[in-house]
Amino acid sequence: MFGYWDALYFVFIFIIGLILAWLLNEWAKNSGMGTRETGDGTKIFISGEDPDRVVPGFEHLEGHFTGRNVMWGLTYALKRFFTVLRADHTGLLTDYVSYLLITTAFVLGAILIWG
Amino acid sequence: MNGEAILPYIIIIPLFGAFSMPIVSLAGRKAREAWAVLISALTLVVASALFYHVWDTKEIIVYTLGAKTPFGQGVDFPIRIVWEVDLLGAIMVLTVAFVSFMAILYSIGYMKHDTGLEKYYTLILILELGMLGIAITGDLFNFYVFLEIMSIASYALVAFRNDTWEGIEAGIKYMFVGSIASSFVLLGIALLYGQYGTLTMGYMAIKILENPTVTAKVALALFIAGLLFKSGASPVHMWLADAHPAAPSSISAMLSGLVIKIGGIYAMARILFSIYSPLANKILEAYNQPYINMGAIGWVIIIFACLTLIIGNAMAVIQTDMKRLLAYSSVGQIGYILLGLGIGLAAYGTQTGEVALAGAIYHTVNHALMKALLFLVAGAVIHEVGTRNLNELSGLAKTMPKTTFAFLIGAAAIVGTPPLNGFASKWLIYESSAVFNPVLGAIAIIGTAFCTAAYVRVLYTFFGRPSERIANAEDPETSMMLPMLLLVLAIVVMGLFPWQISDKVMIPAARMLEQFKFEYIQALISLAGGA
Repeated sequence: MFGYWDALYFVFIFIIGLILAWLLNEWAKNSGMGTRETGDGTKIFISGEDPDRVVPGFEHLEGHFTGRNVMWGLTYALKRFFTVLRADHTGLLTDYVSYLLITTAFVLGAILIWG
Repeated sequence: MNGEAILPYIIIIPLFGAFSMPIVSLAGRKAREAWAVLISALTLVVASALFYHVWDTKEIIVYTLGAKTPFGQGVDFPIRIVWEVDLLGAIMVLTVAFVSFMAILYSIGYMKHDTGLEKYYTLILILELGMLGIAITGDLFNFYVFLEIMSIASYALVAFRNDTWEGIEAGIKYMFVGSIASSFVLLGIALLYGQYGTLTMGYMAIKILENPTVTAKVALALFIAGLLFKSGASPVHMWLADAHPAAPSSISAMLSGLVIKIGGIYAMARILFSIYSPLANKILEAYNQPYINMGAIGWVIIIFACLTLIIGNAMAVIQTDMKRLLAYSSVGQIGYILLGLGIGLAAYGTQTGEVALAGAIYHTVNHALMKALLFLVAGAVIHEVGTRNLNELSGLAKTMPKTTFAFLIGAAAIVGTPPLNGFASKWLIYESSAVFNPVLGAIAIIGTAFCTAAYVRVLYTFFGRPSERIANAEDPETSMMLPMLLLVLAIVVMGLFPWQISDKVMIPAARMLEQFKFEYIQALISLAGGA
């Protein structure tokens, strides 16, 4: 029903997500450079984080894909976007005022034309 | 219970508390703290009574300052200041009073090493007073006065710790650009007053309905631009990332939790729905009369909402300063609220619009609780460890378990994890945006992906191996823990009854705001008989 939540949606989405992750993992294994069942040859490149490196405090997760891998993937894929965002946040008062004036001009223009 | 009889006390109590604070402070530190807690607790009691009255009766309270009716003798238009409280206003009043009470309670332990506290408590009560005034006023100039009271108290509180360059710089930047934004709002009010000769919101709505001029459109543009700034929407959000982290954490909780909502979102909603009535403009359009296209204005807000929720949440991902991360996250969450508001306007008159608007109101309340909690946690961490650099906070869960638990709940709620309160409100916004336009739904989900990444990173740090820096840290004293635990409780309890709250409070508030029967105007006009 519109405006309400059905818990089943969440379960469905979660199951679909798990299947997608498993398929992706299988695909990566098959298209990997290695020819062996175990060892370095089968290693999947999951992120810039070395999967063999033990993260201090997270020894029990050695060999698993952790949040760090996902985080690396996110920031690496969007490196250029983040660089632009960072460069735009100059911290200069003049820029703040400029953005305020640009915003006001845009809103005024939009309302006078379409409003 | 008479709503009109209790309404003035929502202003009188904090006003009296603020100005008597320097005198009470002469009796010592304990008296000062007890006075601040007592005043904010009393304000919370009055706010609760006011909310219950409006919710129970579903009637708008109209109170005239200094007379029984706002209509002057011998004239048929309102000349006196009126306060007009509908359900949205009452929800805001209760939220402001509750979070302010938590912040003041927290300040007892958090600010105990600071000096000049009589000024601090005076300013914090003035800040609360300004926000409460904005939530209850039905007069445009009175709204501007309360907006400035709130803003000036905020500027001073951001720069309260004037022994560091950060607070001073952030305060000056905030004051400078904030004053320009306020002047836009004032110019908008001046244009409307010049054109229509009234300042009473309900009466102004009638005047605009009779003759929607270009001046009214220009004034609306100035209001939207000024209030987008006050709400911290992109691309005018940059002051927020400077100001909120620089303030003491109890103040950051109020700035992020309340000030940007009341001074920005609520004010915008009030002006858009109560003064520039979308229903009236739809009627004018149907009769081929000159009208203001409120649907197009809804889309303008939606554009800023999408920009805000992507930029705010994305910037949160790359922060290493915990409070800066929370500040950018606030920008991101404002994006969701603006999205709900924009869809509420663009899809006015449909169920989608109503659900979106209810979601926006719901998320405003939820975010106030969640962000207040997260900033209070950040304050506890700074208080104990002395740094807010995330790279130095590894393993905090071992030495500050209760604080980390509070952060876990706050983070899970803000990300929108069921069954916490943030989920229900975000769901209403996702669902209505997906129905209205699937692209908007997708943008909202992308924003949440960034939001999740930002908070998971903090939690990963907190649950890592303890670093040397946090070795001697421990959970803070009771006066700091209690507000955090109360906020956790509020988040969990609200999460347990999401649809009941939505059905019984948020949807009726959205309906009252939409004014399908011109309720806001009717409530004012009903007093005309007494003139």
